[in-house]
Amino acid sequence: MSEYINIFFIILRRDLMLAFRNKAEFVNPLMFFIIVIVLFPLAFGSDSALLKQLTSGIIWVTALLATTLSLETIFRSDFEDGSIEQFTLSRYPLTLLVSAKILAHWITFGLPLIAISLFTGFILSLPNQTIVALCITLALGTPVLSLIGAITVALTIGLRGGMLLSLLILPLTMPVLIFSMLAIQNATIGQPISAEIYFLAGILVLAMTLAPIATAAALRIRLS
Amino acid sequence: MYLPKWLHQFGAPKYFYDLSLCISRWAGIICIICFICGLYGGLVLAPADYQQGDSFRIMYIHVPSAWMSLFVYMVMAIAGGIGLIWRIKLAEIVARSSAPIGASFTFLALVTGSIWGKPMWGTWWVWDARLTSELILLFLYLGYIALQSAFEDRRVAARAGAILALVGIVNIPIIHYSVEWWSTLHQGPTITKLDKPSIHLSMLIPLLFMVFAFKTFYISTLLIRVRSEILEYECNTSWVKQLLGINNGIK
Amino acid sequence: MSQFKVIQLECIRRDNILFQGLNFSLEDGGLLQIDGVNGSGKSSLLQMCSGLIQVSEGEITWNGENIIDCRYQFQSDISYFGHSNGVKAGLTAIENMIVMHALAGNSSRINYSAILEQIGLTGMEDVLSSRMSAGQKRRLGLARLFMSKAKLWLLDEPFNALDKQGKAVIERVIVQHCSAGGIVIFATHQTMEIDGYPLQHIHLGNEQ
Repeated sequence: MSEYINIFFIILRRDLMLAFRNKAEFVNPLMFFIIVIVLFPLAFGSDSALLKQLTSGIIWVTALLATTLSLETIFRSDFEDGSIEQFTLSRYPLTLLVSAKILAHWITFGLPLIAISLFTGFILSLPNQTIVALCITLALGTPVLSLIGAITVALTIGLRGGMLLSLLILPLTMPVLIFSMLAIQNATIGQPISAEIYFLAGILVLAMTLAPIATAAALRIRLS
Repeated sequence: MYLPKWLHQFGAPKYFYDLSLCISRWAGIICIICFICGLYGGLVLAPADYQQGDSFRIMYIHVPSAWMSLFVYMVMAIAGGIGLIWRIKLAEIVARSSAPIGASFTFLALVTGSIWGKPMWGTWWVWDARLTSELILLFLYLGYIALQSAFEDRRVAARAGAILALVGIVNIPIIHYSVEWWSTLHQGPTITKLDKPSIHLSMLIPLLFMVFAFKTFYISTLLIRVRSEILEYECNTSWVKQLLGINNGIK
Repeated sequence: MSQFKVIQLECIRRDNILFQGLNFSLEDGGLLQIDGVNGSGKSSLLQMCSGLIQVSEGEITWNGENIIDCRYQFQSDISYFGHSNGVKAGLTAIENMIVMHALAGNSSRINYSAILEQIGLTGMEDVLSSRMSAGQKRRLGLARLFMSKAKLWLLDEPFNALDKQGKAVIERVIVQHCSAGGIVIFATHQTMEIDGYPLQHIHLGNEQ
């Protein structure tokens, strides 16, 4: 057992190290996230009442798009330099190794994204309960995006047609968006949000259980 | 993972190729009969609805195609899963061939739903829970088809598609509930009067005929597609070469 | 005693039959070279042997069991080295070796510098592999052979991009491994300069 924990952390450390050495890979999607959020006030004018209503929705949709962009690189270099081959043929379950990679992706992308959203919420002076709901839904939702995204990336890696990835991810992640937005809207008008939060947590648990298995299976298929 | 022997024989492409012609023809004939009965019953015999007038009659296309859209996705995912686990070529072929048919049913359900909506709601499109779920289902189908066309190797494509379809089938109930919840919160129960129509028997029987017609239509077209895919898959085997050689000789 | 056996293997890639009815069997100490022209299926054969590619027709067994049925046992017994090195450009030589070592499941302590010395990368412990030449990367990738406890080695074109001296080092390791009871299958079209060890041959291609 300790052997498995050990390999998990070695892969996690490896991916974090790689991310920090090649910062563009995760910083660029975050920059994209910030810039797109800035675009909306420019497009709709600085009418703060309208913006306040839209902001959390904008943040969520932009997070979805930015995740799609950032996911493209999660397996690419490993696929090109043969690391995935070595992972697949190692004595450890590919599912475990893939989970470590997905966790690394979430740490380098999901966590900063939540921090930026929190900051944006303060800057645009959203009500406190909205900011709290936004952060909770992002904390539960972004790992799901990474997990579901990993499956589709594994399926589409190295295929022609760059847009294919977004075509596959976005429909699958719609429930997460819907529940998150419902929670945020309820929070804004002072309603309880526990039902939606439970649903999101349930989706997260389901994704954590099944997505690494599906990702590993997809990678095996892509190698053959 | 043991499978009975007769199943393997049934799954053998050559055996199935010979058998499927007969099934496909009969399914086609039954489909035409049911279609005529259903349409006659639905458009002529059934009385007009006291609320919706004649516009409800589009139901005879809309409801079966909406049912089929989900049914075909399930067939696709299950067949894909079987192909993935037991490596039965036929299952892979069935999954691949189902996708365009299922997408067409979904599209048909969307279009008829929208046409039905025009007299009912006054606009072509309303963010009704069922229509929205159907729309997302269409996206899932299109994603599957796009993924299929991106691969060169058919077998790899089939297995990759199977994983996508399985992920989709886990997701569909979640999508359905999330959309239902979302639309009831946004719209209130304005459209639920369509939800549980206490349907009269004279309207129900033609509907059942239409459902049966759509099912057999699916079987028939599926088998036609499967047959041609089998030939492509098996182009290296002697029986396909022989078959094509004989056909050329007659021509 | 381990036995690796290939029975009536067939390989179809992109609707072309590359080979059919291939049989061979290797036991402890077996050394097998696969050669053949480009596109004759050398890499595919090795990938099939490793379990990366599904076998459509025929069977591959390890100790009498189909390799798909005993996947994890089989995978802890093999070391596969493909066209790509499996070396991460963003990591240093040592960091790469730590990952390789962990993936090989080898829990014994290892002197990384000594291995680097053996493969001719002395003093390059902390050099990023993106700064290395193609041959040096190849050598670093082959370092996993020095760390593996695997019985069966599957090497696809191991001598690519290697100079004469590098090739000699790898040849020596291969012979050492076989003498110690290991099994090696490798594909190359270069001639092997192995003296005093029985080398089996399989030739893939039309001329057969």
